Amino acid sequence: MDETVAEFIKRTILKIPMSQMTTILKAWEFLSENQLQTVNFRQRKESVVQHLVELCEEKHASLNDAALLDIIYTQVHRHQKMWDVFQMSKGPGEDVDPFDMKQFKSSFKKVLQRALKNVTVSFRDTEENAVWIRIAWGTQYTKPNQYKPTYVVYYSQTPYAFTSLSTLKSNIPLLGQALKIASKHQEIVKMDLRSRYLDSLKAIVFKQYNQNFETHNPTTPLQERSVGLHVNMDSRIIHENAMEKERVQRITQETFGDYPQPQIEFAQYKLETKFKNGSILAEREEPLRCLIKFSSPHLLEALKSLAPAGMCRIPKLFCSSGSYSQGNSYLYHLYFPLLPDNPRC
Amino acid sequence: MEQTNTLCQDGKSEGGVLAHLERLETGVSRSHKQCEELQGAQAVGSALATKIHKLRCLRDKLRAEVKQRQARVKTSIASVEPDQTVKISEQEVLERKQENVKAILQAYRFTGLSGKLTSRGVCVCISTAFEGNLLDSYFVDLVIQKPLQIYHHSVPVFIPLEEIAAKYLQSDIQHFLFSLCEYLNAYSGRKYQADQLQSEFAAFLAGPLQRNSLCNLLSFTYKVDPRGEGFPFCARLLYKDLTVTLPTDVVITYQGTEALSTSWEEQRASHEILFRTKPLHQVFASFAKTGEMLDMSLVY
Repeated sequence: MDETVAEFIKRTILKIPMSQMTTILKAWEFLSENQLQTVNFRQRKESVVQHLVELCEEKHASLNDAALLDIIYTQVHRHQKMWDVFQMSKGPGEDVDPFDMKQFKSSFKKVLQRALKNVTVSFRDTEENAVWIRIAWGTQYTKPNQYKPTYVVYYSQTPYAFTSLSTLKSNIPLLGQALKIASKHQEIVKMDLRSRYLDSLKAIVFKQYNQNFETHNPTTPLQERSVGLHVNMDSRIIHENAMEKERVQRITQETFGDYPQPQIEFAQYKLETKFKNGSILAEREEPLRCLIKFSSPHLLEALKSLAPAGMCRIPKLFCSSGSYSQGNSYLYHLYFPLLPDNPRC
Repeated sequence: MEQTNTLCQDGKSEGGVLAHLERLETGVSRSHKQCEELQGAQAVGSALATKIHKLRCLRDKLRAEVKQRQARVKTSIASVEPDQTVKISEQEVLERKQENVKAILQAYRFTGLSGKLTSRGVCVCISTAFEGNLLDSYFVDLVIQKPLQIYHHSVPVFIPLEEIAAKYLQSDIQHFLFSLCEYLNAYSGRKYQADQLQSEFAAFLAGPLQRNSLCNLLSFTYKVDPRGEGFPFCARLLYKDLTVTLPTDVVITYQGTEALSTSWEEQRASHEILFRTKPLHQVFASFAKTGEMLDMSLVY
């Protein structure tokens, strides 16, 4: 076994907390049951790691096996990375591609290897028709750096790819190219969504949040639905604007649904608006253009609590949420009505 | 001075007559006014009197009706005998009708396409099924305005919703809904077959089932007899048409360098036809059955 590979495996195993050691090693499926049983996991961590590396030596672990272990570790600790989303689009009138995973993988690898001689590409399939790709980048003259890999999660036959970029900016166009060609799309752009929570990004982009549809078959009894802002009201106290409060709660519930929001930390979008009639700038021809950035430990929950807290007005009409004809800015389409003063985007 | 006096005197005496005339005049007009007022008051009074009379009649009528109903209720309670059915009041009839209608609305989703009016428009529910098994439901919330818009939906991202909408949503909404139903039912059916293969017939597979999100390209390696030594076949099922649940192309190959014996070649060809004509899980069910029959024949 190569020294670099041995070092890489050692460092990867060292990262794994002892409580998860056996689960991750079992998922790796490289070391056999018998081999694992010979390891005393109660020793000090350094000794355990030493023993495991020796076992890997015995089995002649390759760089690919080591990369696979790294992927599994990252899958378990996905919150440690910051994820971006890329959106791809097809040309007009193209049929849906009967996606062949094998073909995708070989095509992706080929594009990268043709451009950069030194690059390590590894794949791991997941159950939901998705694949995790790990790319270790090198240059024409240097070997790939295994300690700063890029991860890509791609769900077949969808136009989205989730990436954790930890590489030079110069490699990003090449990554985009590879994704585009392998998945048979024409264009690729980076979206303005970023979060540590991959599942939340997935929920937003695949529109799996807010599955609150009106049917004749109610699935949750009315008492369970609550926005969590009940006040125990003494019947002798009359709330002057009780009706308004109820309306706000109802609209908030319709927009956000009853369950926890996808967790995102950062959102931004461009705004172009004219000034209100009556203000001194109302006659200006040129609209105001600006960039609005939101950030919060849990952006959507924060937005959800804005209206009930009385911090913004709720207009009666809604923008369509995630309208299919629009490309980007799902966040805007969904939560736009809750912003103070209805600007036009 | 004398003039004024005479005037005064005349005035006095004339004032006396004039004043008297005036007094008489005002007296007449006053009494006229009083007469009119009296007449007015009398008219109002008689109107009110008729009104009071009407109201009294109405009150008496209502009282009589209440008494009648109470008497009816009393007699109905009193006249209940154990072997007689209880008379159902109108309210109960209405309530039963309402529950009936509610139940019909709820059961409507079993037709596959149902909906509910919302404040904005209508929320359509597409309930998919395959071979009598009810599968997932998908929703499309429509806003009724010009142009017709989809407010939000739960259709998976790999179903070409935008294309179907671009073609039919504005011009022919029925066509839009039926087309979407087709795609979703076909997807659900293919997914069901693939899931069945993975769960019920895993023993027949020699490796993992390769599938994609739309379940329209499946490849797997299988053995007809899971325990036997038979040759493993590699199958590749392609469903080019997204609205079908049976594959459009089936390719079965044999992994190995030696040429297949004629019997195995025949089997390979027949399998190709099988996979193209029967749903995936049923093909494997028939493999299982022939396996059982073989077992039985071995016993004897």
